[in-house]
Amino acid sequence: MSQSIKRSAPASPSSSQPLLKEPAFPIWLIVFLTLLLYAGAVYFDGHGSGFHPQVYAPYSSYTQLADLQITGPPNPLEIGFRVYHKPSCVSCHQASGAGSPGQFPPLVGSEWVQEPEPGRIIRAVLNGLQGPISVKNQQYNNAMVAWGGVFSDEEIAAVITYIRQNKDWGNNAPAVTADRVKAVREKIKGHPGPFTADELLKIPAAD
Amino acid sequence: MNYGPLVFLTAFVALSASWFGFVLTPQIQIGRLTESTNTLNTAELYPKARPGQAAQGLQVYRANGCAACHTQQTVQEGTSIDVYLLEVGTNAAAVSTALVKANVGFTRIDDPGFFLNLPKNILPGTTIEAAKRAFKGAQSAGAKAQIRINPQGPDIARHWGVRGSVAADYLFDQPVMLGSQRVGPDLSNVGARLPDVNWHLLHLYAPQQVVKGSLMPPHRFLFNVAKAGQHPSPDALQVPPEVAPAPGYEVVPKPEAVALAAYLVSLNSSTPVFETPMTLASSATSTNSPAK
Repeated sequence: MSQSIKRSAPASPSSSQPLLKEPAFPIWLIVFLTLLLYAGAVYFDGHGSGFHPQVYAPYSSYTQLADLQITGPPNPLEIGFRVYHKPSCVSCHQASGAGSPGQFPPLVGSEWVQEPEPGRIIRAVLNGLQGPISVKNQQYNNAMVAWGGVFSDEEIAAVITYIRQNKDWGNNAPAVTADRVKAVREKIKGHPGPFTADELLKIPAAD
Repeated sequence: MNYGPLVFLTAFVALSASWFGFVLTPQIQIGRLTESTNTLNTAELYPKARPGQAAQGLQVYRANGCAACHTQQTVQEGTSIDVYLLEVGTNAAAVSTALVKANVGFTRIDDPGFFLNLPKNILPGTTIEAAKRAFKGAQSAGAKAQIRINPQGPDIARHWGVRGSVAADYLFDQPVMLGSQRVGPDLSNVGARLPDVNWHLLHLYAPQQVVKGSLMPPHRFLFNVAKAGQHPSPDALQVPPEVAPAPGYEVVPKPEAVALAAYLVSLNSSTPVFETPMTLASSATSTNSPAK
């Protein structure tokens, strides 16, 4: 008993018990952690975009993002570009519009594409095309897919406008409207299969 | 001293806080994402579920560890806003005045040659406010202008993608193959870059034949080399003579290879979404000059 009392007695400077000369948690660590917390909060503020689910870096807020949404009438050439690269037309006629020899005719400078009246090209896109066709004095023979059931009137009008007005290809022909595509769609209801080149040539251009 | 409860409590608070922050909150925010129409005002839905073969290809991609060397996330680091003058209309002087009035940095355009060679980037790297002012000014003077928004960043400069990746891009992927190392190129938009299935098949069979100096190991175990026989397979791969099998043999892709190629072609994140506004690159309106 007397021993335990002795042990709990106040320690002398020479004993092994540490003395509280300075606080156990150093001041510099408190300052450092506070600064770290502050830097983290600043980073969160700059990069967290208010935790909005639709805002990703590098955008910092929803309003900034909403401001960048350019609304307005869509450009048919851009919709046409997208339809062309669906991949639909691009699989055979290539991104360059050059087609492939003997099989798929080029769209670049093609007289079929650039007819002043788009009746024939609309029919070819809607119902497809089969058998031999002569483009730029070259013979091609393969089958074209019917796209009428895949794309809407607007999309078909846009893609035909795109191939007819593609400046990179040197094509320049009047645009095609969705109404025109709709009218042609009505007219060819009795023609379920693909067209042939001869059949198309018999159709009056303005029809 | 017994710090057990305190240590437990600290660990519990730290772990549950990160679980709330990194698991629960994102799940509440984007856990119920659905496909939606994009900003083009067309009825196009994005993203679309992958076709069956491509969905199987995802499992082949996963099984062969493609994600060890390929990522599927394009990083966007900024946006550049340009204003293109498409058509000047009948009165170039009025357009010039309107652009000066728009207070976007134009002093005065005396040179009539300025309005030649349209479309032309008249306001490269501007702010959206200035771009809208210039657009309105040009329109009021009878000209046709277009504001073009181009996502920027090293990945986009490498043509790995056209915009930053967003959550919606991975909506139908189970699991999401984000990847973490780029030994090979990023594949988030590879279907738009390389839309040819046969290219991918040949690339899987003999990568060095299609991409010189490619580090990718050939995946010939995804192909059968079989005797051609009297009726050669219509699916046989056209291989260049350097890697062709012995005469009379043909290289036929296994279903796994076909599925993987279909999956790679289906990787396409070039549709604009609300989260990363962009103007579509269309050869009909671009001038072939990359922004910056």
